[in-house]
Parts: sequence; structure tokens; C-alpha cells
Amino acid sequence: MAARWSSENVVVEFRDAQVHSHYTCMHALRARRFLYVVNLETPSEAPRKISRQSKWDVGTVQWNPHKSQAHLFAASSNQRVDLYVWRDGSGEAHTSLQGHTRVISDLDWSWFEPEFLVTSSVDTYIYIWDTRDTRKPTVALSAVAGASQVKWNRRNHYCLASSHDGDVRIWDKRKPNTAVEYVAAHLSKIHGLDWHPDNEYILATSSQDNSVRFWDYRQPRKYLDILSCQVPVWKARYTPFSNGLVTVMVPQLRRENSLLLWSTLELNSPVHAFVGHDDVVLEFQWRPQKEGSKDCQLVTWSRDQTLRIWRVDPQLQKLCCANDIVDELMEGLTLTTETEKNLRSQDSEPPLMKKKFIPPPNLYGSSGVSGLPQTLQQEFSLVNLQIRNVNVEMDAVNRSCFVSADCGASRVRLVVKFPAHYPNNAAPSFQFVSPTNISSSMKTKIQKILTHTSLQKVKRNQNCLEPCVRQLVSCLESDGVMEDGTNPYVFTNPVTPALPAFPRVTNTYGSYQDSNIPFPRTSGARFCGTGSLVYFTRPITMHRTVPPTEPTPRSLSALSAYHSGVMTPMKMRTESQTTLRLYSGSPTRTDKDQVSISSFYYKERKSRRWKGKREGGDYSSRTIKLAGKVIIQEISCLLPVHKALGETYVLNVNDIQDTCQKNGAAALAVGRRDLAKVWALASAATNLDLSPDPDPDAGTPWAKHPFGRHLLETLLEHYSQMSDVQSLAMLCSVFRGHGSPQEYFTLYGHQQPRAAILAPHHSRYPSFTSSSVTSGSCSSTSDSASTAWTVVGRESEHAPPWGESSPDDYRYANQIYTDPREREKEQHDMNKRILDPSNCWQFDDFKKCYGEILHQWGMKDKRAEVLKFVSCPPEPHKGIEFGVYCCHCRSQARGTQCAVCKRFTFQCAICHVAVRGSSNFCLSCGHGGHTSHMMDWFRSQEVCPTGCGCHCLLQSTF
Amino acid sequence: NSIVWSCVFQVSVINTVDTSHEDMIHDAQMDYYGTRLATCSSDRSVKIFDVKNGGQILVADLRGHEGPVWQVAWAHPMYGNILASCSYDRKVIIWKEENGTWDKMYEYTGHDSSVNSVCWGPYDFGLFLACGSSDGAISVLTCSGDGHWDIKKINNAHTIGCNAVSWAPAVVPGSLIEQPTGQKPNYIKRFVSGGCDNLVKLWKEEDGQWKEDQKLEAHSDWVRDVGWAPSIGLPTSTIASCSRDGRVFIWTCDDPAGNTWTAKLLHKFNDAVWHVSWSITGKILAVSGGDNKVTLWKESVDGQWACISDVNKGQGAVTSITDSQQNEQ
Repeated sequence: MAARWSSENVVVEFRDAQVHSHYTCMHALRARRFLYVVNLETPSEAPRKISRQSKWDVGTVQWNPHKSQAHLFAASSNQRVDLYVWRDGSGEAHTSLQGHTRVISDLDWSWFEPEFLVTSSVDTYIYIWDTRDTRKPTVALSAVAGASQVKWNRRNHYCLASSHDGDVRIWDKRKPNTAVEYVAAHLSKIHGLDWHPDNEYILATSSQDNSVRFWDYRQPRKYLDILSCQVPVWKARYTPFSNGLVTVMVPQLRRENSLLLWSTLELNSPVHAFVGHDDVVLEFQWRPQKEGSKDCQLVTWSRDQTLRIWRVDPQLQKLCCANDIVDELMEGLTLTTETEKNLRSQDSEPPLMKKKFIPPPNLYGSSGVSGLPQTLQQEFSLVNLQIRNVNVEMDAVNRSCFVSADCGASRVRLVVKFPAHYPNNAAPSFQFVSPTNISSSMKTKIQKILTHTSLQKVKRNQNCLEPCVRQLVSCLESDGVMEDGTNPYVFTNPVTPALPAFPRVTNTYGSYQDSNIPFPRTSGARFCGTGSLVYFTRPITMHRTVPPTEPTPRSLSALSAYHSGVMTPMKMRTESQTTLRLYSGSPTRTDKDQVSISSFYYKERKSRRWKGKREGGDYSSRTIKLAGKVIIQEISCLLPVHKALGETYVLNVNDIQDTCQKNGAAALAVGRRDLAKVWALASAATNLDLSPDPDPDAGTPWAKHPFGRHLLETLLEHYSQMSDVQSLAMLCSVFRGHGSPQEYFTLYGHQQPRAAILAPHHSRYPSFTSSSVTSGSCSSTSDSASTAWTVVGRESEHAPPWGESSPDDYRYANQIYTDPREREKEQHDMNKRILDPSNCWQFDDFKKCYGEILHQWGMKDKRAEVLKFVSCPPEPHKGIEFGVYCCHCRSQARGTQCAVCKRFTFQCAICHVAVRGSSNFCLSCGHGGHTSHMMDWFRSQEVCPTGCGCHCLLQSTF
Repeated sequence: NSIVWSCVFQVSVINTVDTSHEDMIHDAQMDYYGTRLATCSSDRSVKIFDVKNGGQILVADLRGHEGPVWQVAWAHPMYGNILASCSYDRKVIIWKEENGTWDKMYEYTGHDSSVNSVCWGPYDFGLFLACGSSDGAISVLTCSGDGHWDIKKINNAHTIGCNAVSWAPAVVPGSLIEQPTGQKPNYIKRFVSGGCDNLVKLWKEEDGQWKEDQKLEAHSDWVRDVGWAPSIGLPTSTIASCSRDGRVFIWTCDDPAGNTWTAKLLHKFNDAVWHVSWSITGKILAVSGGDNKVTLWKESVDGQWACISDVNKGQGAVTSITDSQQNEQ
């Protein structure tokens, strides 16, 4: 069709001009300085210009539709309407209508009285002018709200409609005081309004709310019909032939450059797309039919500064009439030249697709989530079987259906029987019947797939017919592809597969929604893991068909334009013409390879040189590779973190000095001299000589010295800017342990009096370890280690839920200081820490982030070491907890002995000794015992050692 | 067909995977440990390769989508080997490996148009996924553990369509300092999305409902990708966004409440920009677009962005190397 069109439509290009309007054979294009008038009979002639003096752009231009006044046209400009007279190839403004106080939004000549013109404005008035008396409007309709559109009824002299935001008002010009009817048509602004050409009461509104609605204004509450689009609709206008509607989408937001032709009887899918404009269509009008011609002409004017005239021949017009004819046309299209003949054969067998039920759009997609059809009848009525080459005859009474699928040469006939309980965990049966002609191995394979699919669904009490049929088709198709490498049935009948897919449930490129879908990425790069960059680009042989100066298209709909460009004329004539017949270049192509993003890119023939360089002869047989290679690149050298350092860094809390020295050496080894120096500094700052005195009166602690906390903060800030989370986490960990060295060493074996003070804190240990299961970090830590850092870091922020709170905790948490010395001491505690305690959450985050990186490197031990220094342990475990109940008296027990009956709570099923320490038990029967015994037992056995008969290995995981 | 990196850094190709996809590739991503590669293509398939030690073994060829597959996303391994894919066919499929075989774990069909983007949320808070679709909606799917998925849908998140989603990291920036109670603030789930309304939008969950938090305007064409930079615990949040207008913006927010975002233009490219990706510690951004090129950008210590390498087809052109101090200090 694209080919046909380019020969038939007329393209005229006008630079500088902006918009047009026309009613006769003349066409007026507007611009700020000139009005251009184009003779549509000779569109290629240079347009005539009418110059004008105004700083305002022209708003709307309309020729007088009456023969007697055909030389007259009206053009609005800001608050004024100028009437122009066109004579002998030149035009002049002869009068202007002034009355509106704000910009005029629309104007419309009366269909019945050649002198009458209506104008609407945002000043809220609608004026009806008699051009014989231009001083003031003859009628003024006051609407309170500003109007965006105004249109005369085409059947009724007096009636007109105006739109105000989302409302429509119907006026009788004899009753100017108030509107005859209000229609609350849309929730968003109405962009377009059009009266039905034949029915006095019906009008169509197009709105920002993505819909076109049809109204009978006698029933203003409920629209007659709705056409839902995915995008705001700019204009929707009836066609001069019956039952047609042309829509244009809102131009600012998107570039859907094609106009769509719809049948008002069948709003599920457009019947035609006028594809050709490279930019937004600004205006379109129907040209009056010439006498003796059955063709209608649509004139469109786009921002791409071309004016196009589209011929709409009777065949296309008929598409809007009724479904039957659509079908027949489609049927006819397969026989290109014999269309007329086919059209006449009214009683020819209707094609398959006609019988199929097209589901309302809201149903699609909801299946599988909620609102599932439950009964078989419901399923049958809702099932979406818009699958090519498949026909399903459903018989709800006999609980069966007959599926016939033809895929190339293979033919499958399948009887599906649904049991009474279906779909509640009862799967249907599948049986092949003649004339199925696929191999028996294939049959088995399909049978298996279908059974599996249906079981999957009915297990969840879901319907399975549609998924089963889809599985069947994909199975057949993949088989067909495997056989000879091509899709065998694609070329045999290019039309039928595409059309059923065209409604909203389409899966091929080419739905009108594609203009919403971004143009696919064909190259990309992603950082993955810790030090890799994964990227892919288009193969070197593929170039864009458009010059590189033009940006890649915005949306997928652009494919249509490039698509036709790829095809050779030969190809087009032979096989594509019919396919594209109806959609005129819309990419309703059938084969997935053809309808591909790759069509946007020009495929260069492989050069000999290149071919020679390639190893592996298997590629030379293939045509052209569409998929490039995916390249993984090592970029860890760009990152501030080093895997090598992750491995060699140590965190020995018992000897910070040694840790610093070792780490410094490690940094030097990977060439990070800066870090080596930092570690040297850290070593100095953690020197024992600098450790603070517990007595607040002994002097300012080192932390308060410029080389203390301040120096460390400067270092941390530097590494923050570099995003060097490794150094940050390590420094924080080292200095966290260092916080107050005396307490520190106290705990690590240097017997000093302060140890006693810390004793109460040991009670926290159990609660900590139990909550650290997820990180797995602290389970192996000694008591004292975890206590050490808990104590050091947390005095001031303790929240009571932390274990059994010590008296100190309580006091600090409530900030009550009974003794001023107590307070001073606390202050001193804060001051003597080299890491600023107020930032401890941030320091924790450094460690967690670094822990995550270590995890990705696979260094779980190192991760645990770092996470030991997190002051806030991971969130308390909220998952399953195993409570132990005494096996004798069933009371809850703690420990190995039951508090109630004093017997051992949990005995090993093997050795009958009370289990203490590591145990495993079956979640199903509850028996178990020592891990080592259980491991031994189940190495050779499957059932429970107690003889209860439980297949523990199957029931639960040990 | 190899790409030459001329760069002072020792950047080396460690693997070149021939995916054997029958049509163009739209996304490639490695798993958490960097041992497996998932790719998706217009040929409707998703493939998983074992790329350990420079090898390339096809582990799975996942069929199930009925249209081109746009994007894949690996979940955190603590939930098992899980991969999500989204497609033109309006579906999101979550695949799971069990006993060495990959199978569909869940199929989400709640969108009315192509699903363009999928992104797993931070693992600390569960297994949940955001999907952005051309029907304008964003869905958040949360696995409740028993194989059931809770769905929350934000309708009309972006007029015309949503093109990209990206979760905020689990680390709450700016909340770390001066918390008088000493209580760690609760993490609020947040994500960023980009759409055909040229906007970048930030969303947060409040009382179980998703609310629009911020609307960032700077682009003059469809926003194609957004990326929330990983956080290492610093008080600044960073987001990168790219658009068909060729511009890449870096959005930063120092405000703990997350209300004031400032945009900085990284670069204006000559063609549409499709993808942005952050390195693991932030600061380095990979940008790719319609010009078939990949560029890496690095933020220097003083906050300036510079191109550190330019992957230019076959020519190995390098624009500039400005920041090499980190290894040389």
C-alpha cells in the first residue's frame, strides 16, 4: 500500500507556512506574514500569498462552504476575525469582525446560511455574526466558561455545540441566554468536537483523557460509545462517507504522525492508518467530493511542512461500514487483483477470524491476577484465542472443545475434555484426532507440554485453555522452524496471520500503541558485579538507514517508516503489497524477522575481507548476524576499591598497631602509596602513648587534639569524595576498636580494675548473637570481643530493648544525671573517642557497604570481620524461630532440661542422649538429634530413625 | 569486531560472549557474583550464560515471552537464582533456577502495554520488583514468601508511558547524622522513574501506598533511563537520567528530607541516550545510546564530570583522561 500511496497522494512542501483550512478547491495555509492559498487542483504550482500586517499569528482559517460565497474565507487573529475575499488569484482582507476581548479559539461557518459565522473565545462568549452587518455580533451566547471549540450542527439550522474544558454545551441560537443541554463529556480538556454528518443529535468529542466519546445529546449522562486510545486525542472527525472517523493524536507530547481511520461500528482497532508525514499532523479536512467521483480526498497538513492529499477510494470507505465487509476485503486481498470480484461474492465462506471473539480490552491482562473466570462457560466466553492459524470450537455443555491448529505442513486436531471439577485441581484431557499429521514423537512431546501447562494452572485453580493453546502453537512453530530454519507458513499466506493479531492484543510490532513504546535499545553498557562492565553494541555490519545527524527515533512506531524503506521494490511487488494493503506501511508484518527492530538498520553485505577474517564457517551460511557480541570488560582498576586489598587487609583487634602496619604494607604492594601513608598515620594515632586517661581531670584526650579526631575526619572526608568505601570502612573499624584503648585492653586480657565495671554488659551477648544469624558474622566471636565494641560505641544511644538493661543504660537513655561527675565522665567518654560518635550510623553504613562488596568478591570471612565492627547489629531476626517443647509434658522448655517435669527435653533419636549443641530435626515429624548422628543416619537411610515412618528427607531439608 | 580501549588504566576485555540470538540484543546483565550473564533479545528469548573464568556456556534459553524482551534483572542471591524479564508482550516473567533448571516462577500480566523496565529493590527489605510500562503505570510486585506475589500498581505514573525504574539504595542518606533518639530511622522504600512526559519522578511508600514524592524537570524529550546511584553511606543522594534529547543529567540531593534536587548536565550527546549505569561505588557512570557508543564518565574529587574513556567502534579514540590521581597518590 505504501507503494500505491506514494504514487497517488500528492505531497506539497511549504516552508514557513503553518496551518491550513479549506473548503473548496482552494486551500489556505497560514503564516504570520502571509497567508498562502494553494489550488488543490494544481497543488504543485507555487502558492499565492496574501500578505498581512499583524503581530499575531493566524488562529483558525475557514473557507465559506457555500458555493455562492466560495470566494470568502475567515481567518481569526487574536481577538479579531478577518474576512478575506479571494478573486482572480489574489486576496484581500475586506472587513474584520471585532467584538471578542480575548483570543478567539475557533470559528465555524454555518452550513445553512452563507452569511453566518460563529466564533468562540476564551472570553467566555460565543458570537454569531452576520457578515452583512459586521459592526457587532447578531447573537451573543454567554457561557461563563471559555470555549475551545464551536461547531454548527449539520442538520439543524439553529443548533450549535461548544466545548468548555471537559463539558459540551448545546445551544439553540434562538435562545441565547442559556444552553439547551449540558454534557459532562470528559474529565479532561476537550480538544475536538464534531457533529455527525447525518444525525442531528450525535456528536463526537476528543479529549486529553485519551478517549473519543460519542454522544447523543438527548441523553447527556451516558456516552453512546467510547474509543479508548492510549494517548490524548487532538481531533476526531467524522468522514463524509458513513460510519467513518479520523483521529489525530495530541501533537505536543508525541510524534504519532499518522492519522487513523476508524469504523464507528467497530472501535476495537483502526481500519487504516495514513502514514507518511514525518512530523505532527496539525490539521486535516475532507475535501468535498467531486461530481462523478466516488473517491473522497483527505487533505492533511503537518509540521513537516508538507501538505498531503490522500485518496480514499470506495474500498477503503467500505471498510468503515461493517465487519463482514472487512472480512471479505481481507479475504479478497490475498488475491490482489480480484478484489472487486471477491467483494461481490457475498456468500463466500467467511474467514476464520470473523468467528473469533475479541475480548473487551479491560479483560486482557487481568487473567491470572484476579477476577478469574471460574466456570467453564465463563472461561469460554472470555478466553482470548486470537492466535494465528488456530481455531477453537467450544462446547460448554459437553465440557469439551475442539482445537484445530495448522502450522505449515503440520496439522493438529485436538479434543480437550474438561472434567466436572475443572479448574479446581482437575486438569483437562487432551486427545489427538484425525486428520492430525504430526509425528508420534511430536505428539508425545505436545501431550507432555499440554499436561504440564494445564496442571500448573489448575493447581492454582486457574483456567488453562488459553495457555495450553498458546503452548501448542509455540511448540508447533518452534518445530517448524527447526525443520528447515525458516518459518514455513509465513510466505504461504502473509495476510491472515497478521490481521487477527491486529486488535489490542497484538504481539507484533504495528499496533497503534507502538507510538507509546520507546524505540528499543540496541546498544548498552552496564556495570555488573564488582568490577565488570558488560556492554553490547550493534554488529559492525549494521548501519542506520538514516543519516547519523538525525537522532534515533523516539518510539517504536517509527519503525513503520523505515520498514518500507528496507524492502526492495521487487519484494514489495511480489509479497508485501498485499500485506501492507490495508495498513499502508504500518508495520503489520507477519514474520518476526521482518518485523524487527533490525529493519531500522541497514544491513551491509558482508565484505569478502571480513568474511575471510572470520573463523568458523557456520556463520558464512547464515545471512547476516543481527545480534552483536556481549563483551565483558574488567574495569576494577577504575574503581577505588581493590580486590587484592580486600584479601590482604587484616583487622586484628588485639593488635591495632600490627594491623595498621600490615595494612600499610598491603596498600604499598598494590601501589596505593597514599593508603600506605594513611596506615602509617593510623598506626601513630593508635599508639598506646596516646590512649586517653579514664580520669576526666587528667587532661584533654588525644581525640581533641588537631591530629586526633580532626585529622581522621579529614581523611574520611577525602576518601568519601573518592567514594573509596574500602578505606573508609577499614579506617572506621580500626579506630572504632581503638576508641578507648584502656577499656579495650582491659577486655583483652590485660587485667585492670575497669573490667569489673563492664561485667553487666555481658548479659547483652546472647541477644546479640541470636540476632546476627543472617550476617553470620558474630557467631564465632568470643564473648569479650562483641562486648568490647558494644560497650565502646553505644553508651549514649542505647535503647532499652537491648537485652536486660543495666542501670547505666537506663540512666543514659533518659539523660538524667543525678551526679554532675557522672555527666562529666560521660562527656569525657565521648571526647576521648577518635571517631566522632555522632556519625556512627554513617560509619556503620561504610562497613555494611564494604561488607557487601566483600561478599560479592566471595570473601565471606573478611566480610564477617568487618561487620563485627558495626555498632548496630542487623535487624532482629523476624523469621522462623524454633521453640523447644518438652517431649514428655509438652510444656515449653528452655535449655536441655524441662522446667516442669525435669526430664530432658530433646533426646537424640539415635543415641537417646539429651541433645546439647548442634542439632537437626525433621520439620515434619519433629524427630531428630545430634547433627553428626543425623548426618550419618541419613547418608544411608531415608526414613526417620525413630521408626515413625516419616520420610524426613523428602519432607524437610536437613 | 573487538573494541579497543585506549586508556591509561589497564582495562581489559575478559570475555566476549557470542549469544547466538537471532535478533538484536536489548539488554545484558551479570549476576551478583559476576559469574553468569543474562541477555535478552528481539528474538523473544532470554539466555543465561555461565561466564566464569572467561568461558561461555549456555545455561538456559528461556522461552516464554511472545514479543521482544527489553530488559532483564537479577535478584539478590539470598533469594536464590532469580531473574526477571520484561517484554513487548506486556508480560513480566520471573524465572527461577531450581535444581539446575530454570523455570517460570511467576508471570505478571497486569499491564496493558509493553513493559519497558524491571528493577529489583534492595534485598534488605525483601524480594520486590518494580516494573514500568508503556501503559503509563508502574507496578511493584512483592514476593510474600509462599510463592504469592502482592501487586501494587501506580496508575498514570507517567503520561503516555513509563520507560525506566530504579530503586533507591537501602542506605538512607542524610539520615545518619544527629539522630537525637539514637534510633536508626526506618528505611522508606523509594524509587525513581522516567517517562514519556519528559519527567523524572520520585516515589515513596507511605503506609503501604505509593506516593509521588518529587517531579524533576529538565529533559525536553522522553526520559529513557534513570539510575539511582548506589550509596556508600554518604549524605548525598544521586540520580542519573538520560533522554532522547541527548542530555544526561546528574541529580543530587543533600537535603535529608529529600526535597531539593539540583540538576547538573553531564553532557549533551548528538543522539538519543538510552542507558545509564553506575559503578558499584558510584562516581563512575556508563552512558550508551543510539550512536552505538559507550562512554564512561567519572566525577572527580572536586565534583566535575569528565569522560574517562570512549569506546569508539574500531578506532579506539580517547577523548580525555583527566583523573588518574586515585592510583597515583
